[in-house]
Amino acid sequence: MTTLSPPPTAPHESRAPTPPGLVGSWLRDLGIGLRFAVAGGREGWFRTLLTAVGVGLGVALLLVTTALPNALQGRHDREMDRSELRYGDTLDKAADDTLLFTRVDTEFRNQSVRGRMLQPEGPRAPVPPGLNALPKPGEMVVSPALRDLLTSSDGELLARRLDYDVVGTIADDGLVGPGELAYYVGADIPGASPENGADGRIDSFGEVRTDRPMGPVLVLLVVVMFVVLLMPVGVFIAAAVRFGGDRRDRRLAALRLVGADGQMVRRTAAGEAFAGALIGLLIGAGLFLAARQLAGQVRLDYVTVFSHDLDPSLLLVLLVAVTVPASAVAVTLFALRGVVIEPLGVVRTAKPSRRRLWWRLLLPVAGVGLLYPMFGQGDGNGDFNQWMVTCGVVLILIGITALLPWLVEACVNRLGGGGLSWQLAVRRLQLSSGTAARMVNGIAVAVAGAIALQMLFAGVEDDYVEPTGVDRSQAQMVVSPRGDSSATEGLAETDSRLRAADGVRRTMPHASTWVSAKPTSEDSEAQVTVGSCAVLGLMAKLPSCRDGDVFAVDGESRELAKPGTKLYFEPIWGSDDTEAPPWTVPASVRAATAVEDPMGNITGGLLVTTGALPQEATSTLRGEIYVQIDESVPDVREHVRNAAAMAGPYTRTYELQATQVDDDFRTVRKGLFIGATCVMLLIGVSLLVSQLEQLRERKKLLSALVAFGTRRRTLCLSVLWQTAVPIALGLVLATVVGITLGAVLLKMAAASIAVDWAGVAAMAGIGAGVVLLVTGLSLPPLLRLMRPDGLRTE
Amino acid sequence: MTPAGALLTARDLRKAYGPTHALDGAEFSIHAGEIVAVMGPSGSGKSTLLHCLAGIVTPDSGTILYNGRELSAMSDAERSALRRTEFGFVFQFGQLVPELTCVENVALPLRLTGAGRKAAERTALGWMERLEVDDLKGKRPGEVSGGQGQRVAIARALVSGPRLIFADEPTGALDSLNGERVMELLTEAARSTNAAVVLVTHETRVAAYSDREIVVRDGRSRDMERAI
Repeated sequence: MTTLSPPPTAPHESRAPTPPGLVGSWLRDLGIGLRFAVAGGREGWFRTLLTAVGVGLGVALLLVTTALPNALQGRHDREMDRSELRYGDTLDKAADDTLLFTRVDTEFRNQSVRGRMLQPEGPRAPVPPGLNALPKPGEMVVSPALRDLLTSSDGELLARRLDYDVVGTIADDGLVGPGELAYYVGADIPGASPENGADGRIDSFGEVRTDRPMGPVLVLLVVVMFVVLLMPVGVFIAAAVRFGGDRRDRRLAALRLVGADGQMVRRTAAGEAFAGALIGLLIGAGLFLAARQLAGQVRLDYVTVFSHDLDPSLLLVLLVAVTVPASAVAVTLFALRGVVIEPLGVVRTAKPSRRRLWWRLLLPVAGVGLLYPMFGQGDGNGDFNQWMVTCGVVLILIGITALLPWLVEACVNRLGGGGLSWQLAVRRLQLSSGTAARMVNGIAVAVAGAIALQMLFAGVEDDYVEPTGVDRSQAQMVVSPRGDSSATEGLAETDSRLRAADGVRRTMPHASTWVSAKPTSEDSEAQVTVGSCAVLGLMAKLPSCRDGDVFAVDGESRELAKPGTKLYFEPIWGSDDTEAPPWTVPASVRAATAVEDPMGNITGGLLVTTGALPQEATSTLRGEIYVQIDESVPDVREHVRNAAAMAGPYTRTYELQATQVDDDFRTVRKGLFIGATCVMLLIGVSLLVSQLEQLRERKKLLSALVAFGTRRRTLCLSVLWQTAVPIALGLVLATVVGITLGAVLLKMAAASIAVDWAGVAAMAGIGAGVVLLVTGLSLPPLLRLMRPDGLRTE
Repeated sequence: MTPAGALLTARDLRKAYGPTHALDGAEFSIHAGEIVAVMGPSGSGKSTLLHCLAGIVTPDSGTILYNGRELSAMSDAERSALRRTEFGFVFQFGQLVPELTCVENVALPLRLTGAGRKAAERTALGWMERLEVDDLKGKRPGEVSGGQGQRVAIARALVSGPRLIFADEPTGALDSLNGERVMELLTEAARSTNAAVVLVTHETRVAAYSDREIVVRDGRSRDMERAI
């Protein structure tokens, strides 16, 4: 007879387990969740990966944002290090440690090219950062980006302009960014001095370090911009943590089957979210490092950043590393409030209690309350409390995420009627309005923030963007010869070169100087403008004109323009009194009425045709040529610049702009553009993932519906309605909140409140466009999921 | 050769999913008002046979004639219209739309054929009364039991007056008591409307409700009556 061996003893029969404490329970269940996340088979991995990639994208963007202040500071520091600015006046005398510099900046196809012509006056002349030695006359040291451009076929026109021997490249410490176009060229111009062509004389670089503080309104813009750009990232991370939640709940139900209680499965879910967030942190760090490596090659609106500049501060990195996993756990526990997970795979959503409006309204009201004390502080030297601004704006924008579920629920509960696709969509929204609201939260927050910023930008724009008065229909460019070319011969030579350039329609050369009644006087001066009759006709209404005529333009200097008055050219600048050339106003002088010239200026004093100017006065003239171009000729501006450069190294060329934008304002606006692009992309990805996730969840049902004959068009339309209804409500809410926030910010900036409806429509349109794009992208997978063979389970 | 007066016949059906031959020369026929059980172990190909017969999946080869019309010659839209108007379906689970109420679920096939909401729901409620689930009309599928849900699904399968009902393991997720009640209601209702039923099951007690049994094994079918 065989005896069966006794069955193995279960552990609890031999030893009673000690129940773990609260911390122990948390750790144990979190551990189970962590294991679920990484060892839960393909399903588990898929969910973890979805969350991790989502969180990773958000973390990478957060890290880039936290690194931006350092990057901007690095750019500013290097800009200061190479600056030629000095405390006090320019150095008077040449010495063995002085250097003459001339700004020879130019532009090439809308990109600025920084240029400096350097002429050492002794062996110890200073060398700018990024250079080992000063370039010799005719030699040029260029930035790597400029070197690449000059050697490419694209840069052929610029290479003709900068026709020097390239003998080296500027190192990183001499450039603000890797894509900067910059060059130093050596010169040996006899007689050059700050009084004759050169811009100044220095004995060191980087003497002046300006840290010009931004005005309160710009600070407000920057703070709001950061909040507005980062809030959707936060909302996105919260949404990413909930990716694949339904499938996760089914797996948790299996845990309930083997005896886990409700609290345990919640903690396990938290552990899973924690794991996803941790992996997301790693992915985010990896993406950030990759982005950092690639930063040097990325160009956004001509702004480039060195990889080594993208260093986030340790404190901010730690903040991200702690906040993201903690938020992941908090969001998961919050999301599980209304969910009852039962054994046997049964997951039932407890009937949600009706959403209350009052506490949701408290958030934006509290936000406005925080901002209210700062109303009007943007006027004058007011200062904003940055923390209060941040908290106020965050509360108002978070208010959207709190109000939207209530709004969606309140509206869809009142919806009815319509066709089958509408009914399917409305019923779905009624059953899970929270999911629908969550999907559009990010886009609503982004749109509201963008509307508010747009209003603030439009409201304060007048302070930072000034109309120049330029009439671009008459001239689009100005060429200004300096130094030796200032004499009329030089002006004529430049003019003939310009007229020969491709695409130049008309040139309007003229020159100006000053006259005074006494050879030593600085009082009673009058401007003298010299040019042909045609050019002088641009500055005043002339009765008639031929060469040799002189006109007196009405104005304060009318007294000096009386016939027979003896005047002296440029008396102040003459080295002694006798050098100022004298001139007697001819008896034939006639009155003329001034009009705005192409630059938008009113020319006063005397208008003198070329033939009426005494020969001795030509040396005092400074010339300028207005150029009218044919915009249809390719690279016409580059042809003009090249022709001007041929006339002399000191010749400057400007493009006339209808408005002049403050540099800081321009930087902030650029930052907004870059940030908004990244955020919109992120939100688009988030929406797409959520959409695909929901469709995947409904694969079986979609297949069943198609099996019993439901038209695919009906189901597609139903999906479209399901997206369109919440997004329409989200955009309405975003518009209301955005306009309110914009008005509050304008009040703070002490600007008049005006709604830029075109801007509002544009922002809402962009939001709607992102949703339509995402819906369009999700249609092919939707059609695939609707195949009846989705019913197969084996 | 088509059996005389058959509503649906299938000959030499073959269907492969990758290297797996789900159907390998299966045959089938059913007459109006007849209830035929398709039996077989898991993975034998019985669900694939049902999907092919219903025009949900296209076989790789073979012919399926419904009322003398070749199914594979029909366009996708025509097959969909056929499923909407002539066929009814009951699956094991995952078939009711969770966001619609039970009465809206039952009315769904009628709405798909263009009926107005009120008229469709009135007819639906009549069928729900016959299947003893009219008290669930305002509830959502998530709020009813498995047995109740299957009865709602049967009401939905019958509401459009189909000539042929396909039931794939209709009692698979139910206990024996609920399963028997569901089968009683399904067969009674089908007989009262003279609808034929293709009943896929692996349970003999469920198959006992049928007039005839077909066994599918390794993708091939065998008529049990003839074997006997």
